[in-house]
Amino acid sequence: MRKKGHLAMVLHAHLPYIRHPENEFFLEERWLYEAITETYIPLIDIFDRLEREDIDFALTISLSPPLVSMFADSLLQQRYLNHLNKQIELADKEVQRTSYTPFYETALVYQKRLNQSRRIFLEYNCNLVNAFKKYQDSGKLEIITCAATHGYLPLLMTEPEAVRAQIATAVNLHKRYFGRDPAGIWLPECAYTAGLDSILKEFNLRFFFLDTHGVMFASHRPRYGVFAPVYCPSGVAAFGRDPESSKQVWSAKEGYPGDYDYREFYRDIGFDLDYDYVKPYIHPDGIRINTGFKYYRITGNSHHKEPYNPGQAREKASLHAGNFMFNRELQIKHLSSLMDRLPIIVTPYDAELFGHWWFEGPQWLEYLIRKIRYDQDTVELTTPSRYLDQYPCNQVVTPCASSWGNKGYNEVWLCRANDWIYRHLHLAAVRMVELANCYPEASGLRRRALNQSARELMLAQSSDWAFIMSTGTMVDYAVKRTKTHLQNFLKLYDEIKNNYINEDGLKALEDKNNLFQSIDYSLYRRNA
Amino acid sequence: MTTLFLSWAIIIIAVFSIAFFGARKSRLKAAGQSQVEEINRVLPDLKEEFSTELTPSGSLPEYQFPREELPHSYGIDRLVLLARDPYWLYAYWEVTATKMAEFSSTHGAWETSWPVLRVYDVTGITFNGQNANQYIDIGINDQADNWHINTGEPDRTFCVDLGRQFPDGRFITLLRSNTVTTPRASLSDREDEEWMWIEGIYRSIRHQYGISSPLFAEEIAERARTIPLGVSSPGHWPEY
Repeated sequence: MRKKGHLAMVLHAHLPYIRHPENEFFLEERWLYEAITETYIPLIDIFDRLEREDIDFALTISLSPPLVSMFADSLLQQRYLNHLNKQIELADKEVQRTSYTPFYETALVYQKRLNQSRRIFLEYNCNLVNAFKKYQDSGKLEIITCAATHGYLPLLMTEPEAVRAQIATAVNLHKRYFGRDPAGIWLPECAYTAGLDSILKEFNLRFFFLDTHGVMFASHRPRYGVFAPVYCPSGVAAFGRDPESSKQVWSAKEGYPGDYDYREFYRDIGFDLDYDYVKPYIHPDGIRINTGFKYYRITGNSHHKEPYNPGQAREKASLHAGNFMFNRELQIKHLSSLMDRLPIIVTPYDAELFGHWWFEGPQWLEYLIRKIRYDQDTVELTTPSRYLDQYPCNQVVTPCASSWGNKGYNEVWLCRANDWIYRHLHLAAVRMVELANCYPEASGLRRRALNQSARELMLAQSSDWAFIMSTGTMVDYAVKRTKTHLQNFLKLYDEIKNNYINEDGLKALEDKNNLFQSIDYSLYRRNA
Repeated sequence: MTTLFLSWAIIIIAVFSIAFFGARKSRLKAAGQSQVEEINRVLPDLKEEFSTELTPSGSLPEYQFPREELPHSYGIDRLVLLARDPYWLYAYWEVTATKMAEFSSTHGAWETSWPVLRVYDVTGITFNGQNANQYIDIGINDQADNWHINTGEPDRTFCVDLGRQFPDGRFITLLRSNTVTTPRASLSDREDEEWMWIEGIYRSIRHQYGISSPLFAEEIAERARTIPLGVSSPGHWPEY
């Protein structure tokens, strides 16, 4: 039977570039390890299983350049493996400790998952890029890119060359790791402002995503709302987020992840158990941290928590997947009665929501894919590229400047907590452009210094730092990262201008902030 | 990434929010006796199962970052304007000593004037300094080097002058900003349509805008409890 509409699931996977060779137990480095165990490997596990069972699917995933670079970094790969081995050791102890308690079954689940993580990690040669590329090459995954260091582009547009370099570097990296040009891009934080699309166009990026109001408030008014892409005047397509399906997953009141049968995030043995027992698995300085071993379900709104029941949670995930699909069917039936083409529902999520925050999220996703394949005839999974191939004619509008942050515009990244960064970031961008224009054909040491300047500038531009500052927790690290990269940049600028480059200092920076091996500073040249 | 970050933020917050499994306490007694006692003494009502967030104290191990601060000024005259949202702008600036000296020698003593931000509405025009649709003045102080400006005007174009006002009413511009346009905050009233094939063939179709978008009344506060504390990632639900 002919399908009535499309569903495009989009996962945005990103972590800031955090790599501290000088300290094996850097707390912030664990973000990556946790996300690998809880989100990225479970996703790959799903893809592997679906592949084995020959179940077709179509998903879009944006892998940010810092994340891809960390996946491919041998130091971080080794450290992840060490981390994982410790986790497995703890899992074995936990199975012992919890025997004859209501927590035993959950402990077994963790033990099995962690062993599976190690198997999958090793199977892909410790480099998860290989896994994602495999499913790109088999046509199941549409992998798109993101800005080089997840810079918040609308607030960098004072120096368009800085934005262009963010895009160009990302596209080059994508090509290098995935063997083809990215078809589209996830704009960091879904943040758009007029003019950005023209830069995307220069790199043959066909599409990007906007929050709902970015499309709804476009001028002229979009005929199909967010249920069909629009073209910017440059000809780049923009897909708008469907609010209804987003809400089902994100909303506390109606969203799935808050279900009482799902695992409670806030209870972790890293905090709950005796210090001496967990000591080997928390920070060496004795700081209690999350270990990932959590044994309670959400239970209710009070502090009273009951033991987690993996089977019950799995059933709930299946139920929720069915509910999500049922609602999409209704939505698509309704929409297709009003539209003269097949509607597309676009549902973007932070990838790390699945597995990390919402422990059962990957299960939910797998059930959803299976149910869409076998249990209905209305909805078809698609990717933006496929939809555009099918519908190359679209309405032309100027989207509304917007983001998916709190209140929908730039405030999260431009508020009293972080406004001070822009005078420095903008100035550094001006100076980077100046350097690129001054030394068009640099070679040797000067070229290395220019390339490192570009790296430091981009690292300072990560939207993550401004975001963390705005939340008011762990601000220190974000402030320090911003300042450090800017200081590194300013120092290199002076050295290059004075024609006195400290090679040892440069080498140290190259070793430490080592992403974008093939970066080209001349991307910053005006009218390049 | 945001969800991950938030979880970490909470972990760090919770470093000192000590929670205990009431049921298992006896099992752990031998190993953790003194600690349990200590905690029970400090937080007597935590003997029952408990989970909440408390304010962190103590310090984390730190990587030695460079200690020097970023320069306060760069010796460049500039006034940069950014649009924050439909209702607010943000401006920052730097006035060099040279510029100040120049100003004083031409227009009179710096001290007899006061700093003013003149915010021009330049929507739909090519601004030449004289032809703004309207402007407002914001008196600021000599220490300020940035300002959040409330215009309350979505979808309008603005330009800002940093200048000085004299007692006789003269306003002298020191620096002029770039122009920015605030984002829309509602549906566009332009309902005519233009269509494009990506190959570049255009056609126009007139059609009534027909689909009502889902309506929301939102609950950011509630969301904060269970799911990733809605900060960055979808942290808002606009109404149409």
